[in-house]
Amino acid sequence: MSQSGSQTIEQATTAIQVDAQPDNKTRRYDRQLRLWAASGQAALESSRILVISATATSTSILKNLVLPGIGHFTILDPKNVSAADAGNNFFLNGYSSIGKSRAEEAVPLLKELNDSVDGEAVVKRVEDLLKTDDGKQWIKNFTLVIAHNLPNGPLETLSDLLWEELEDPPLMIVRSAGFLADFYIQFREQCIIESHTETAPSIRLTKPFPALQEWADNLDYSKVDPTEHAHIPFAIILIKEADQWRAEHNGALPNTYEEKAQFKKRIRERVVKIDEENFEEAETQAVRLWSEKGVPSDIEELFSLEPLTSSSSKQTLNPEFHALLKTLHAFVNSPEGPGNLPMSSTLPDMKTDTESYVKLQRMYKAQSAIEATQFKELLASKYPQLTIDEDMVDSFIKHAHQIKVLRGKKYGALEADKDAISAALQAWPSDTATTHFALNALSILLEKNSDPTTITAETLKSEVENFVGQGVDIPEDLDNAVGELARSPTADLPNTAAFLGGMIAQEAIKMITKQYVPVNGWCVVDLIESKTGIVNN
Amino acid sequence: MIKIWSMKKSEDAAAKRKPKTSAAQIRVQKDLTELELPETMKTNFPDANDLLNFTLTITPDEGMYKGGSFTFSFAINTNYPHEPPKVKCIPKIYHPNVDLDGNVCLNILREDWKPVLNLNSVMVGLQYLFLEPNADDPLNKEAAEELRRNREQFIYNVRQAMRGNSVKAIQYDRVSAL
Amino acid sequence: MTTVNDDATSSDWDGRYYHVDQVLNTPGPRTEDSFQAGDAVKDFLRNQCKILVIGAGGLGCEILANLALTGFKDIHVIDMDTIDISNLNRQFLFRPKDVGNPKALVAAEFIMQRVPGVKVTPYFGKIQDKDEDYYLQFNIIVCGLDSVEARRWINATLVNMVDEENPESLKPLIDGGTEGFKGQARVILPTISSCYECSLDMLNKPTAFPICTIANTPRLPEHCIEWASVLEWPRVHGEKKLDTDDPEHIGWLYNTALTRAKEFKIEGVTWSLTQGVVKNIIPAIASTNAIIAASCCNEAFKIATSSAAFLNNYFMLIGTEGVYSYTFEHEKRKECPVCGGESLDITISKEWTVERLIEMLVEKQDIQIKKPSLSSGIKQIYFQAPPQLEQATRPNLEKKVSELVEDGGEVTVTSSTLPFNLSLRIKYT
Repeated sequence: MSQSGSQTIEQATTAIQVDAQPDNKTRRYDRQLRLWAASGQAALESSRILVISATATSTSILKNLVLPGIGHFTILDPKNVSAADAGNNFFLNGYSSIGKSRAEEAVPLLKELNDSVDGEAVVKRVEDLLKTDDGKQWIKNFTLVIAHNLPNGPLETLSDLLWEELEDPPLMIVRSAGFLADFYIQFREQCIIESHTETAPSIRLTKPFPALQEWADNLDYSKVDPTEHAHIPFAIILIKEADQWRAEHNGALPNTYEEKAQFKKRIRERVVKIDEENFEEAETQAVRLWSEKGVPSDIEELFSLEPLTSSSSKQTLNPEFHALLKTLHAFVNSPEGPGNLPMSSTLPDMKTDTESYVKLQRMYKAQSAIEATQFKELLASKYPQLTIDEDMVDSFIKHAHQIKVLRGKKYGALEADKDAISAALQAWPSDTATTHFALNALSILLEKNSDPTTITAETLKSEVENFVGQGVDIPEDLDNAVGELARSPTADLPNTAAFLGGMIAQEAIKMITKQYVPVNGWCVVDLIESKTGIVNN
Repeated sequence: MIKIWSMKKSEDAAAKRKPKTSAAQIRVQKDLTELELPETMKTNFPDANDLLNFTLTITPDEGMYKGGSFTFSFAINTNYPHEPPKVKCIPKIYHPNVDLDGNVCLNILREDWKPVLNLNSVMVGLQYLFLEPNADDPLNKEAAEELRRNREQFIYNVRQAMRGNSVKAIQYDRVSAL
Repeated sequence: MTTVNDDATSSDWDGRYYHVDQVLNTPGPRTEDSFQAGDAVKDFLRNQCKILVIGAGGLGCEILANLALTGFKDIHVIDMDTIDISNLNRQFLFRPKDVGNPKALVAAEFIMQRVPGVKVTPYFGKIQDKDEDYYLQFNIIVCGLDSVEARRWINATLVNMVDEENPESLKPLIDGGTEGFKGQARVILPTISSCYECSLDMLNKPTAFPICTIANTPRLPEHCIEWASVLEWPRVHGEKKLDTDDPEHIGWLYNTALTRAKEFKIEGVTWSLTQGVVKNIIPAIASTNAIIAASCCNEAFKIATSSAAFLNNYFMLIGTEGVYSYTFEHEKRKECPVCGGESLDITISKEWTVERLIEMLVEKQDIQIKKPSLSSGIKQIYFQAPPQLEQATRPNLEKKVSELVEDGGEVTVTSSTLPFNLSLRIKYT
């Protein structure tokens, strides 16, 4: 675009309009790019997903992954389409699919949802694949493995397989019958830089960097004209007021309720005429002064986290993230550093004039750049041999206030821990755990005897009592769960399938993009009460 | 199918039936019929059957705009009071918070609108603009500049503009009988 | 396997409903006694129940597919939109070749082709085009809309439709909505439970910036974009209406905003942000829509079949941090302008004047009304203010009520002493 000052808007428009309009792909994905941006999209596009069985639930999950554009999917299913499948699965051709391979029928109907996604059907039994080294390796090569209503035996083998090495893909286990369902993600560690939590980064009001302090120091309320007075950014007002307060209170900031009220009153008294919204804003934003911490406590906790290291190969899981985390720890402790997390360059809007805001924004940006350089130097000196993608480092610095690390457990960890079972059954609301254990019982019974008519509320209940063990009180809610499962032990209801299809896909997207925070524990779904709950393990 | 009607009978014997009037319509009726306007403000309905489109004329009896008569158009849509009424100043006037196209800078007309506010609050807010023009957050920058720098000159300009004369090469609409 | 007709589209094959039938053949521990397990409930669901889906977009596509699979066979769908390329990341019944075509038609066609034996009747147009008789033909209405205004309209229409003498006039309304990883589904039983209008204050306020900030002290890229759309567009283009679906219009706004941003040294104006701000774009993904649509359809299924208790009455989901959901009963609001307020049946003489009626209202001890204003439909009867309308309606005081309101007609009464309004049903002796 020409920079000629005399150019009119109309002239300028024609020059760049065509280039600026996004391409078809961006337009197609517009509504999701607003959630996970190009970085999340790239992660999705390079993912390869394995889904075991082509049930209604499985194809619903896949639909919600193909639409946003995963790279590739595989359906592993040895079965042929039954009359029941043709009735409840949207991704089969109704009656005409009956008798044909379920995976082969479903794949083209899923692929047509998005031309840029590739998919294949593998008509094999997972049990057979789990028996050979090639088969095992094949499974391990996926980004993520999802299994719906897989019988306990192969499920445990699969879970063992994917817990062998630290870098094995996460396994999502989904179980459903009628209106009830639960799911679990087996994963080692999820390191999240962009958690998208709503915590705002510190803007250093309690520890202003030099340029900011200078601005506050040089400001003399008696020397600014009324219009300027009404446009002093709240950040400057607060820094100035805090300095004065500290001077009068032995260096301490307002602490008690009365002191805070007194502090706010002082701000109010600075107002020289009505409508000075900047001072009103300073008053409401004063809370930043007493809530702002150098390092938020949840980030502080991460500093003591040791990376997961494999005992055999001495390899570390997520080495880049942990190097950044260690560097962050060193950064906040460094005597040359600010004693804070590195400055995020994003500044909240303030009621001020354009010039002051732009000036302030540039100051923050400049400081942020200084600290980013410090951080990178520290990183290079601590980890000279490690190369980390520049974008990842920048993103880490920018989002340092919202990073998260989740540590997962192996499938079955809850059931192996008597205390955890007992704690889950005592947690509120009590029906979350009872539904989960009833689903456990159902899968055990179905494996013992594939005839669903043998399943009754009584057999389910005694199975639950059996593995919960003596001396643990089981809430009465269990009767509702076992009664419901006995009613529909093998029903893959279209609505339940669709609900899970959304839930599982959503968690899968979080796992793949490493954005937002996935669920850790069993998520239990009750579509009679229309609610979800979590059983922690 | 569940027996909803039985639920109704059991817990809501004197069930209600409402007229076929939209919620917006009823709300506007309530707002308008409860207006308590001072002598300085008058509403005018070009079509008395259309409560959603009308004008408000403000004739300040004090302050710098005394003697002027300022008419605003109100357009209320069916999403009222979820959305604020759309208000424009009809004549071209010289005022720091009103631009030459009739846009009005009043917080409750945009960013601070909430459904608990009503037409009375908007009208009172508009009147207030003539008593206390705000030079710090202007729409008409020149006017605001003048008000800040030279109040006397500003008052003179307001008078000129109200008579339909030009101020700084911009001609304003005559809004004063004086 | 049993043989089926060659024309599989007109008949159910054996085992087709194996899954759904498990919950229709047997009650569960929480199923109500009124549940007619077996053939009766299946016959109602598959042969009698008529269901309306409002919206064939993100939620609508999902809703249609779920309803069809669960066994609803007579489905109607209304949508006024045509397909845009940005719909394709979630509205899974549409393909690139369908861009530009009406959503309702394409969706209906797709469902009928994929799920044999299901009849989907589309209407390409506005919900406001249809009258009460139209809405009365359905047993249940499921709503997947993105517009507050349309929702308020259908909600008010269904509440108003409830007729004391006709149980069939009460139509359960199931409403879903999503935003990014968040969403909600709710069941509204018009006049019985909390309605859409009751919860209007739970909505997020759309972001609006002070017009003086936009005009004079822009700081954010959004301020520059609003300047281009709110102030510059009408100034430059006059009466020509801004069409936010027209890429040329968006292009103009983008470049205008960009030029302004450069002038003020503000960074961050992009095409995507411009579009987001002027169209008030809400992020939307297939997975959240799937969850919420499934929840809506599950409630429709439970209501239609009584196979299990239905949602009372609000399910809220937040999927950004783990899976958090909250199921609760949203309370009816007494002063709700749609389903709240007071109502009164009164019987008066045909000879009574409006003035007499007003006197009667003022004297009535139990309603404590002062200076009432009256209207019937959109017709004013008597307004206490403003002066012009008071004058215009004053002659009505002398008139007989029966000249202005038909027998059994409704009168809306507002007064500063009433929290909202009083609705009178007038009968004559």
